[in-house]
Amino acid sequence: MTSARTLDVSDLPPYEISNRAPLWWGQLFMAIIEGCLFCMLLAMYFYARLSVDVWPPPGVPPLKTLMPTLALIPLILSAGGSYIASEGAKKANRRLMLQGLCANIALAAVFLILRFIEWRTFNFSWQSDIHGTFVWSILFLHTFDVIADLLMTAVLIVLLAVGRYGPKQRAGVHVDSVLWYFLVLIWFPLYVAIYWGPHLMRAQ
Amino acid sequence: MSDTATPPYGLTQESAEADRAALARTWANAKGLLGWLSVTTHQAIGRRYIVTAFVFLLLGGIEALMMRIQLAKPENTFLAPARYNQIFTMHGTTMMFLFAVPVMEGMAVYLVPIMVGTRNVAFPRLNNFGYWMYLFGGIFLYVMALTGAAPDAGWFSYVPLAGPQFSTGKGVDTWAQMITFTEISALCVAVEIIVTVLRMRAPGMSLNRLPLYVWSMLIQAFMVVFAMPAVMIASTVMLLNDRTIGTHFVNPWEGGDPLLYQHVFWFFGHPEVYIIFVPALGFISAILEANSRRSIFGYSAVVLSQVATGFIAFGLWVHHMFATGLPQIGEAYFTAASMMIAVTSGVQIFCWLATMWTGRLRMTAAIHFVFGFIFIFVLGGLTGVMLSSVPLDLQSHDTYFVVAHFHYVLIGGALFPLFGAFHHWFSKITGRMIDEALGKLSFWLLFIGFNVTFFPMHILGLNGMTRRIYTYSADLGWGSANLIATAGAFLIALGGIVFIVNALTSMRGPVNAGEDPWDASTLEWAVPSPPPNYNFVYPPVVSSLTPLWTDPALRTVVTGLRTDRREVLVTGVTEAEPQFRYILPGSSIWPFLAAAGIMIGFCGSVFAFSWYFVASVLGGIGFVGWFWPRRPVEVAP
Repeated sequence: MTSARTLDVSDLPPYEISNRAPLWWGQLFMAIIEGCLFCMLLAMYFYARLSVDVWPPPGVPPLKTLMPTLALIPLILSAGGSYIASEGAKKANRRLMLQGLCANIALAAVFLILRFIEWRTFNFSWQSDIHGTFVWSILFLHTFDVIADLLMTAVLIVLLAVGRYGPKQRAGVHVDSVLWYFLVLIWFPLYVAIYWGPHLMRAQ
Repeated sequence: MSDTATPPYGLTQESAEADRAALARTWANAKGLLGWLSVTTHQAIGRRYIVTAFVFLLLGGIEALMMRIQLAKPENTFLAPARYNQIFTMHGTTMMFLFAVPVMEGMAVYLVPIMVGTRNVAFPRLNNFGYWMYLFGGIFLYVMALTGAAPDAGWFSYVPLAGPQFSTGKGVDTWAQMITFTEISALCVAVEIIVTVLRMRAPGMSLNRLPLYVWSMLIQAFMVVFAMPAVMIASTVMLLNDRTIGTHFVNPWEGGDPLLYQHVFWFFGHPEVYIIFVPALGFISAILEANSRRSIFGYSAVVLSQVATGFIAFGLWVHHMFATGLPQIGEAYFTAASMMIAVTSGVQIFCWLATMWTGRLRMTAAIHFVFGFIFIFVLGGLTGVMLSSVPLDLQSHDTYFVVAHFHYVLIGGALFPLFGAFHHWFSKITGRMIDEALGKLSFWLLFIGFNVTFFPMHILGLNGMTRRIYTYSADLGWGSANLIATAGAFLIALGGIVFIVNALTSMRGPVNAGEDPWDASTLEWAVPSPPPNYNFVYPPVVSSLTPLWTDPALRTVVTGLRTDRREVLVTGVTEAEPQFRYILPGSSIWPFLAAAGIMIGFCGSVFAFSWYFVASVLGGIGFVGWFWPRRPVEVAP
């Protein structure tokens, strides 16, 4: 048998922190899976909406739009924190990563606090009717995901603060931003549907 | 290719041997129970998936035999009516969720990394986590069933029957949460397979050189990603929450809609059938290519047909709901889409026939199963075209005609190819040749038994016998056909016993298979049987669709990957050009602990929603442990 020719790859870098990293691809598909859950909930929401004439059901006032709209401001800004952190991760800049992640977590916390304050004004529960079931399901799932991502961000902040990090953890910072962009972006259609939908569709 | 006996150009025999020894050390699994629970090598996890799935196949098979005994004669009293409901629910649930999908995932976890020329899947710890989620889900279902909480509303748990009003007890809740376990597992594997195939192929293995089996798994993985979330919405969000915390998704009195449950379930449920069937198409291509000793006729046509199948599969779900009174225009659309599947399937069948015709066919046991597939699947496909027409479907809906149809497409379309694959790759996975004569005997028993069991069901269905009845009266005249079907079921059982005996006795024989007993073309036949944990000492570079049939003088291998850590090569998505190296994580107990923590919470969640918080906290602790960096954290080039 003849000897095989060789392709020497020892000159290639041992890792890369970019959108070509396998971890980034894994995170992308995890976001797609989560996105499918939200899209299905949204489709079901409209299915339920279109099968009745009055929405929300009689006795339930349409949701107020002021508070959730105000809450969008810290939410959008928090994505900027994620961006700064992921740029810091690519450049191996610890200060940028820490600043970005802390800004991300602080602004996201403001968003969550505004959301929790708003919830206290709801006069219906998931047991009230189908409208309540959908609104609470969408809000619960999105809030759950947001809190899970923030915990992941907190763990990364601890690792960076104590200096226990290498390229793998920097890649973690980078893909953490992917998940956060997803959670910010997916909120827009959900927000429009549950807060503005009843107003817009009533006007017709 | 990776054989160190002929070291690559420029390397001495000694240095090649040293590389092999270093890789064996680096990729060794830890000993003991802790090591066993922490394994992250894809061969071990793939084997576990396959063995576990076959145990569930056995359980599902026993349940099927119990149903056939009950139906063997009119007004039989072998099973009480309530018990019969539980048995058919457990049979369908086991076969779909605990056998068919996991076994396909397991085969892929084992084969795909080797076939694309890399050393492991992209996310080895996620792989371990996914397996435990699957196993825990299966054990959870059976423990609950045996302690009196067996689900009994059918494998798709239609509401209102499965709703809080009509299904008391914890059976349906258990069913719903078992789905969550197995879907998480399937989604983990799907993401691994997609990233492994798109990012970790051997240099030179551009997408148009991807083996057909890998194509089929790539398509299946994408289907899993888009279909499985729907069933989690149906079972976990709609059904379970309606039952445990009083939401109103399927409660018509508060604006919910039972029909919506059917829509969401079948939006998953129909692609599910193809999630099981598409990998089987890949098996057929691989077995046929090796045994007809030519590359598959019409490679591009087969790939495009499978991609088209993947897309069309998402536009068929309403044909399960023709009897629900949907608008006629919708029904017409879904009839057309359902018939379209016959085109994409037909293209592939003809490509395979052309391959056999123009090749030099070797009649191995695996090829017998391929012929069985073609015969049975084509018959199932014909009844499928019949059922896609609304007037005929309305007449035969929920009758044994449908039961016959889906057993023809599922057993013919997935189980026969799987058994063929088992005989084909047995030598690779165990290092031993399986007994061909016993393999052919088991084929004939299964083939004859299958047709004797399920063919009469067509006639029973047309004569009006409905699904899921626990008995029937003698004057209906269904007795003899049912008795024949029951006799056939025992023939299938006999075939199954021969198959098991063959596998077990062949496994005790000497390691004699060699690298490539079939003279096959794909990369898994370039590594020793069974493959070492690192698969390749020097991963291959690929220059054609059939790398092992390429002139050995033109072969190239990758050198320069470090042997003292688990390093693989990341390559481009379409052309597979080398981009950078990538270090895979080693063994860890944390994926098991995370799965165990989530299991505790999920099991509790059938009793109270608050257990989800237990799952979140315990799972969260598990994930933090999983990601916590071991020193040294820096990477030396």
